[in-house]
Amino acid sequence: MDVSRYVDDRPEDGVFRVNRAIFTDEAVFARELERIFEGGWVFLGIESQAENPHDFFTTTMGRVPVLVQRDGEGTLRAFVNSCPHKGARLAQTRAGNARLHVCPYHSWSFDSAGRSKAIKSQRAGCYSAAFEQTDHGLAALPRFETYRGFLFGSLAADVPPLADYLGEAAKLLDLVADQSAEGLELVPGQVTFTYEANWKLQLENCSDAYHFTSAHPSYIRVLERRQQEMSADVVASVWENSDYWKEEAEGVAGGSYSFASGHVLNWGIFGITPAIPLYESAGALAERHGEGKRDWMFNMRNLTIFPNLQIAENASSQLRVIRPVAPGLTEMRTWCIAPKGESDAARRQRIRQYEDFFNPTGMATPDDTVSYENCQIGYSGTVEPWLQGYSRGMTATVPGGNRFSELIGMTPERSVLADAQLCDETLFHSYYRAWAQRMAGGEEA
Amino acid sequence: MSALLTRAEAEDLLYREALLIDTQRFAEWLELFTPDVEFWMPAWRDETTTTEDPDRELSLIYYKGRRNLEDRVMRLTSGLSTASSPLPRVVHQVTNVMVLDADEAAARVSAAFTCHRFDVRMNRTDCFFGRYEYRLAPCEGAWRIACKKITLLNDTIPTVVDINAI
Repeated sequence: MDVSRYVDDRPEDGVFRVNRAIFTDEAVFARELERIFEGGWVFLGIESQAENPHDFFTTTMGRVPVLVQRDGEGTLRAFVNSCPHKGARLAQTRAGNARLHVCPYHSWSFDSAGRSKAIKSQRAGCYSAAFEQTDHGLAALPRFETYRGFLFGSLAADVPPLADYLGEAAKLLDLVADQSAEGLELVPGQVTFTYEANWKLQLENCSDAYHFTSAHPSYIRVLERRQQEMSADVVASVWENSDYWKEEAEGVAGGSYSFASGHVLNWGIFGITPAIPLYESAGALAERHGEGKRDWMFNMRNLTIFPNLQIAENASSQLRVIRPVAPGLTEMRTWCIAPKGESDAARRQRIRQYEDFFNPTGMATPDDTVSYENCQIGYSGTVEPWLQGYSRGMTATVPGGNRFSELIGMTPERSVLADAQLCDETLFHSYYRAWAQRMAGGEEA
Repeated sequence: MSALLTRAEAEDLLYREALLIDTQRFAEWLELFTPDVEFWMPAWRDETTTTEDPDRELSLIYYKGRRNLEDRVMRLTSGLSTASSPLPRVVHQVTNVMVLDADEAAARVSAAFTCHRFDVRMNRTDCFFGRYEYRLAPCEGAWRIACKKITLLNDTIPTVVDINAI
């Protein structure tokens, strides 16, 4: 595939453009599934989703159903969730506990290490010697690794080790994992929603500081009303206690970091405020990790680990898994991610802020997803196929990190230090450079 | 209002609530709730159970206090929310109304609902369905909604579900 048809990346000319077809073309989408979601590292879930012996959860990598299973000795493995007999989906639920999975179609069974336990009426089956010598266990994912409780798999064996793939962005996962000595967990209650637009719109929006005051004025008006009243009845939010997103704010407000492999962060300074559920641990976290790292845990952070994991820590803390279904259809599975062991009051505050801001039944996300749908409709207009949304920050982006990334010893590929008005768009370049690299691939590169 | 809530009175209140939402008479709709109303739509924990403790588990919507519903109405009608402009057309069917128990201070009522929503923006029709559980309380000479729990059975949300479609 000639990726220059889709991504016009000419830094020497100050040009970065993305072709609308990247969001609509069926052939592009098919290749994305093959090359990106079924051809490299993909986020599967977190360890606490299968915490105890024989626990499991299911997910997908592109089109492929996946079973992540802990065996009786505590080892986690990941398999294609498909019976080797006729291919039927084996585990039927999102999560559960099973010493044995029995296929509902012909009763082939598998233990929690994925080994074949029994083939119904095997002796009477008049099988050939060749069949008897075949392994009837579940097909393991070619690669499966964990980093700080974050589980990743790859359907291609020929990928770098996970640590290399995550690179310096791993330090941003540390900021999530280190919020409690006990680790992290997903708050019970999963929320799934779909939107009728391309998966990369979610990729971009999470990293898009530019849209906040434009797409969310109704939410901002609610915040202003609450700020004036400060009544105990209303859902308190960190947003009304922060200036970082306000267009009239001055000084360094945050910025962006880009990493190899397409990982990006946009961030803003919130400060150590009681509006953040982590506030009760502010002292302990500074003691354990130093003030610099502690302060980072209190920054607004929207992290993407390419291609399908996003962790947004702003109004609350959300873990999102992006699943492309069709060029114009995406499924989002979302959870409230939280440090284990936080107080009841902090947990309640985290949950309330989450529902109000992040849920598709809340007051902010719908104005994003509906905007994605408006984009998807607009992409059909190909009179001028090249989009102009990748240009803010072109003269602000610099190689390497800055005084803020130094606080956690992190060296990104590029960084932008921004006031509230800059709203960098060069961090998207990282997505599309990784995208282009993966899509071009081997012989056609 | 009679001393003990009758099913006819419960039906009147629930049907009226549906009509007010369907016809976008949100100010009147808000008046049906007590100031300290608990408005709750749990999330699903797994395939078969919803979350039960709003303080420890996630809900799709959880508010304590009518004040928060006023915020939702304000946002919905502000003209500042892309997702709500124009407002979708909705019609609720409320059925299977039963008074579960009743005394002079309160009554518990259950019902089933479907809500058909036509999203004019996307030219798309969706249907949401589930169960209601109400706690009604007498307030200023009328039965008011002190608690409304919505169990949404089809919880894969197509882009957005706001308070007018449940």
